[in-house]
Amino acid sequence: MSAAAHIFESFFANQGFALFEYLGDGEFQLIGTWPAWCQALWGDLAADAGKIRIGDASPFLENFIFDAEQFWDSKSAAGSAHSGNWTEREASGREIPLEASAYFLDGRRLLVVRNLSETFDQQQEIFQTARDSLLVYEKLLREIQKKEILLHCIVHDLTQPLSAMNSVFHLLDREHLSPQLKKYVKTGERESQRQELMIRGILEAFSSDLAAQNSKQEKAGEAPDLADCAQRAVRDFSTPFRDHDIGLRFGTHLKKSDNWRVTGDAARIDRIFGNLLENAMRYSPKGTTVTVGVEDQGGFVMSYVDDQGPGLPKDQQDSQLFALFSKGKSNAGKAGLGLYFCKITVERWGGAIGAETRAPGGSRFWFRLPRAEKSDAAAATVAESKKPAAIETHPEKHKPTKRLRILVADDADINRELVVELLERRGHIAIGAADGRAAVAELEKHDFDVLLIDEEMPHMTGLEATQAIRQREAGTSRHQIIIGFSGHVTEEDEARFRAAGMDALLPKPVHMQQLYEVVESAAAGVKKSPAPAGPAAKPVSTAASASAGSSQPPPVVAAAAILGNAIEHLNRSTGGNQRLMRSLVEILFADAPKALARIGRAIAQNDAAEVAAGAHLLKGSLAIFGASASVESARSLEAMGRAANLREAPLEFRTLETEFARLRAELAPLAKNAKPVKPASDKPAKKNKPAKKRR
Amino acid sequence: MIQKKICMLGSFSVGKTSLVRRFVATIFDEHYHTTIGVKIDKKIVKTDGGEVTLVLWDIHGEDVYQKMRMTYLRGMSGYLLVADGTRRQTLDDALALNERVVQEFGKLPSLLLLNKFDLTDQWEIDSSQMSKLAAAGWNAINTSAKTGDGVEGAYLRLAQAAQGK
Repeated sequence: MSAAAHIFESFFANQGFALFEYLGDGEFQLIGTWPAWCQALWGDLAADAGKIRIGDASPFLENFIFDAEQFWDSKSAAGSAHSGNWTEREASGREIPLEASAYFLDGRRLLVVRNLSETFDQQQEIFQTARDSLLVYEKLLREIQKKEILLHCIVHDLTQPLSAMNSVFHLLDREHLSPQLKKYVKTGERESQRQELMIRGILEAFSSDLAAQNSKQEKAGEAPDLADCAQRAVRDFSTPFRDHDIGLRFGTHLKKSDNWRVTGDAARIDRIFGNLLENAMRYSPKGTTVTVGVEDQGGFVMSYVDDQGPGLPKDQQDSQLFALFSKGKSNAGKAGLGLYFCKITVERWGGAIGAETRAPGGSRFWFRLPRAEKSDAAAATVAESKKPAAIETHPEKHKPTKRLRILVADDADINRELVVELLERRGHIAIGAADGRAAVAELEKHDFDVLLIDEEMPHMTGLEATQAIRQREAGTSRHQIIIGFSGHVTEEDEARFRAAGMDALLPKPVHMQQLYEVVESAAAGVKKSPAPAGPAAKPVSTAASASAGSSQPPPVVAAAAILGNAIEHLNRSTGGNQRLMRSLVEILFADAPKALARIGRAIAQNDAAEVAAGAHLLKGSLAIFGASASVESARSLEAMGRAANLREAPLEFRTLETEFARLRAELAPLAKNAKPVKPASDKPAKKNKPAKKRR
Repeated sequence: MIQKKICMLGSFSVGKTSLVRRFVATIFDEHYHTTIGVKIDKKIVKTDGGEVTLVLWDIHGEDVYQKMRMTYLRGMSGYLLVADGTRRQTLDDALALNERVVQEFGKLPSLLLLNKFDLTDQWEIDSSQMSKLAAAGWNAINTSAKTGDGVEGAYLRLAQAAQGK
């Protein structure tokens, strides 16, 4: 035996370890003494000092011998193979923590088994503390998430009646009231608005980081200068940066003639810079410098925060980085709210935010905001620019030869309202029904030339109603013309609709020209379903206006150029009928918060079916306004609900809320500020007819 | 006597050790004691195939601090995949872990246990998720190491399956 081997053996024997030489075929020879703890665990295995099958006594060692053999077969003179910790129980019940190691020395295959009792408690304590902390952290995140949703549900519930009251006051204000009544109405409107503000104030106080996005009251003060904000942030943060031995500088050379004014609010821009700078400080090594600057990007001003840290993780997507509760892998951040706040705030103002790894090293966090209009009151200017132009189309000037009686079945009030109104303006008689069952009942009492029916509705779907009607017609010469409308318009969908007995198909969101064409063609016995093109279907107007020649009045196109997307979309859908547009917006403002609250509650209660139902309904309402981001978000929630997987639903719900807030801001001029540009010259305004059928 | 190696797999703090203690010694400890490495226990059970010694490998939950060695699973006859019904994430983690196991060892007898069923007020797994699991071929069993509900039955079912009965 070499001196090294002798020292090795003596060392392990003195430490109370069990030392074995491997003989092959699972057999070992004990070297030295059989420790007492081995005796307590495995009995008199080594009593005859002969060959020991240690694997027979210990299942864990039996398993490790495979790994040890691989190590020994590799004939590696250096290093060792370790089993990792395991615990076995003595006959008395006491647990003994152990670890085994394989060595190769002087051509001998050695196995050492160590009793870790003396050090194990310390190790256990460290792991215990770490995992306890992880559990607390997980619990905290879940609690925050639940409270977030609950808070928003409460706010929705509180503001929901106020929104309705505001709408009612607004409608009353347009009636011919006595001066005294007008005064009462004004007082009521003012007080309900004040209460709404107070509720939002409470929300801000309870949820300072996230609530800001919900406040629709933008300060209409002076448009902030982004360069000023950036310089102020550099000044404010210079001390903490210095304390961390990190440099901070403003890196843009400014000219006096430069204009850096942007849409937004200075206080919130300060918080955005604060979040980005705190983030940069966390990830910047000592001795490096963080640079803040601004850049002119035409219609936008971009600001950036460049650091010289490790850059972004390769697998980190922008969307993850700015998501709610997202944190860097090092967990250096706080609760993952800061960057999310930046995102929702910037996007709310029509800007964008992102992050990238810089070529010279480090990362760049940037955000850009739209330039402010020349007027100081940027928000007001934006709102003003979105007011609808004075456009009215006159569908009844192209009245059809036959006046049809049409039953419109849709559970979404706003969709039903739109279709009924459009058909009546065309000169038809249209009546609404809130679901398939109501439609079938209505058909039993009255005759209709056409039934327009939605696919997905509570109680009885459009397909079920169609089948019921066709069964009733069996053996008679009657044939009710039925047109299905749905957001799903693929070839398969069309085949499915036709198999159920429908005569034609109309994609959602409904477009005026196509509605007229499909309904009137179907009633005339001409097959005229639009070509299937998926949910984001080829705009119906393309096919329809081509056949309708000049039926699309030029002013609509002119208006589209100056209006916001949602208003533009609505303008097209309604043929520029401002009264109908306002009516639809008011319904949306009254109904969507209810639908959001319903979805929020369902998520909190983990009720997947309810989430799917609520999201489906809201999706249909939002589609009328284009609102592709909101529709997409509602679609995702619906899919999550249908798949019974709500894991990502809270985050998607936040997105939906944010998107709806943006849509609401865009449509606000229509709902409140916009006075009728001129009285509807073509037809006197009438009350919301479908109300009689509304649930 | 026939021995069958049964592994306990799942995230940390889902109750693997408690399930073993409940089954082997009819004991439950309210306090959470994290497992480091592997704990080995044995229990003799009677099944339709006769008596069999279950060698239970209670393997530490995987997290940022400890990664599981797949070599621990070598030679196992079956495994219990454990999730904490009050922490939805642990179910996803368990299913992801199962994919790795199947990839490495092929399909073996296994059961999915949704543990801590005594904490119904905090339960995060609803009936629709159970239906989805069933559709994916999992007959998930609700267990409580605290009350003992479902525990012995689960081990016996797995023992039967491991014996091919």
